[in-house]
Amino acid sequence: MRINDLLMGLVMALLGAITIWASKDFPPIARQPYGAGTFPTIIGAFLVGLGLLLSLRGWQQRGALFLWQGQVTPSHTLICLLAAITAVAGYVLLTPLLGFPLVAPIMLTLLIGWLSGGRWGMAIIVAIVASAVVWSVFALLLHVPLDLGILEEVIY
Amino acid sequence: MAELHAALGMVFAWDVLAVILGASLFGLLIGAIPGLTATMATALLVPVTFFMEPLPAISAIVAATAMAIVAGDIPGALLRIPGTPASAAYTEEAYLMGRQGKIGQALGVNLACSVVGGLIGVAFLVFFAPLVADFALRFTSDEYFWLALLGLSCAVLVSGADPLKGAISMLIGLLISMVGMDSVSGQIRFTFGISDLLGGISILPVLIGLFAIAELLRRMPEIGHTHFPPPPPVEKPFSGVGRLMWQYKGGIARSGVLGTLIGALPGAGADIASWISYALSRKLSRTPEKYGTGHPEGLVAASSANNAALSGAYIPALVFGIPGDTITAIIIGVLMMKGITPGPDVFTSSATLVNAIFIVFILANLLLLPLGMLAIRGARHILAVPSSVLYPLILLFCIVGAFAANNSLLDVWLMLGLGLLAYFLVENDFPIGPMILAVILGPVVESNFMRSMIKANGELLVLFERPIAAMLGGLALLVWLAIIVSSVRSAWGARAAATSS
Repeated sequence: MRINDLLMGLVMALLGAITIWASKDFPPIARQPYGAGTFPTIIGAFLVGLGLLLSLRGWQQRGALFLWQGQVTPSHTLICLLAAITAVAGYVLLTPLLGFPLVAPIMLTLLIGWLSGGRWGMAIIVAIVASAVVWSVFALLLHVPLDLGILEEVIY
Repeated sequence: MAELHAALGMVFAWDVLAVILGASLFGLLIGAIPGLTATMATALLVPVTFFMEPLPAISAIVAATAMAIVAGDIPGALLRIPGTPASAAYTEEAYLMGRQGKIGQALGVNLACSVVGGLIGVAFLVFFAPLVADFALRFTSDEYFWLALLGLSCAVLVSGADPLKGAISMLIGLLISMVGMDSVSGQIRFTFGISDLLGGISILPVLIGLFAIAELLRRMPEIGHTHFPPPPPVEKPFSGVGRLMWQYKGGIARSGVLGTLIGALPGAGADIASWISYALSRKLSRTPEKYGTGHPEGLVAASSANNAALSGAYIPALVFGIPGDTITAIIIGVLMMKGITPGPDVFTSSATLVNAIFIVFILANLLLLPLGMLAIRGARHILAVPSSVLYPLILLFCIVGAFAANNSLLDVWLMLGLGLLAYFLVENDFPIGPMILAVILGPVVESNFMRSMIKANGELLVLFERPIAAMLGGLALLVWLAIIVSSVRSAWGARAAATSS
């Protein structure tokens, strides 16, 4: 989705202004005019300046504020974005409770099954094999502490 | 000589060779699938390299990227869809050669020229990097401040058609790099009370978010909407390649050197090298009218240049710690995670490691020949991997990879947030290259500036006192002037266009 440069520029300028405001209380180093606030303030000032320039350019071009481009419909794109966000958020929130060995195959099965247009048998097989491979590489080989969740009580 | 012997011993260990082979195959897979880039291959490799020693970690990235760039030529020639942006310049030419029944020759030329170009780049890296490093030993914080700033500025200037958006992208990257405890004053900045952010935002979720998640978000909606035709069979991949290479030997050499030099420029990577070499080859050609009709001359030039650029980008990265492109920005991040700060000192303190890296470069480029052949032969199978299966697998790999560095679920949230940010920015034509370079270079710019100011009691003009610092500073200011003038002119142009319509 294309957002008009007028809006994008204003958002950037606002981000710059917030950065300057948040940096104002950083103290300088002793006997120096510079300190921890120097660079954030410079970055913020540039963001304000360049953001306003971008806004000015967008305003002069007078295009639509929001414009959809591409062959894929906005609703399908939005659903895909939400699916990806839900998958990541679901993993983060559910893994400590249910554990990687349950969450990862379920997440993969749902995503692959949905994206492949309902080939659920293939989705389940790929999800189980892939989750086992990822578990073997990261948890067993590289010793990354992937959560076991409720399975911890079952196993130990 | 003893160092070279030790370096050979380091490289020809079974684990390093296995890593190179495995990473090459991984690069081959990612590069050959349309839409997945060499940078994405690198970002996905980082979580695994995090657990390796420095040499196998760098070997994995060098091998995977070289292979991904070469494999990116395959869908370009077969389907007219470049596998990576670095192949885009000559996709049309290779595809049209295929339509004339010369698909094997087109892919063979791509592969052979990539190997030669890569080796030219390595030769430059081996001979010039130590010389430049020797010179750079005299640099102080003044020179490093300007050098890092110049790197950032050039990255903005060459990042795309719109330097204004490139500059804003860079500023966002700088802002990301400011999070955490300031290394000079110890002041805590922008952590919002989250103690996990005291050490700053870890580079791993940034890399995966910007280069893998954002790309996935862009590609996922296309599943089911884009259908690739079945690729034609590839016959006799090396038929007539030797004759063509001999015919265009001057072009190969010129593009190899040009590609290396462009690669060494901060921000300008393999894709820009490829486009410029193609354009220059056309300009200098005796038969420019044949370009765009399936003529191999431009193909030869551009495919030499893109692999040479990969090696060229390592010159500023290893010597100064200034990344030449997004891939070397990731390499610097990996080295820093392992406690090695790239710079001229590395050439003396870790000379064996540097020599070993050079050997890995040669090995990775030579490996392109057999593995590239394998990729060409197996192209039909690679292209048959359904995106509906591949993308969810990549997503799971991203999540686990982002978590792996610090065993922190906060990093997974950060990866998602930065991925969404990069998605919206790219959709609105903001380049991502300057942002990742700024994340790496932000602390370098700030810490060297503060060191110089502490030495000079806050006297700004000291930054121009040493001759090389003054020259670099002048250049950096000129580049910024060019960026600002270009931005103001684009705003002015927009106004004129709006008035006339």
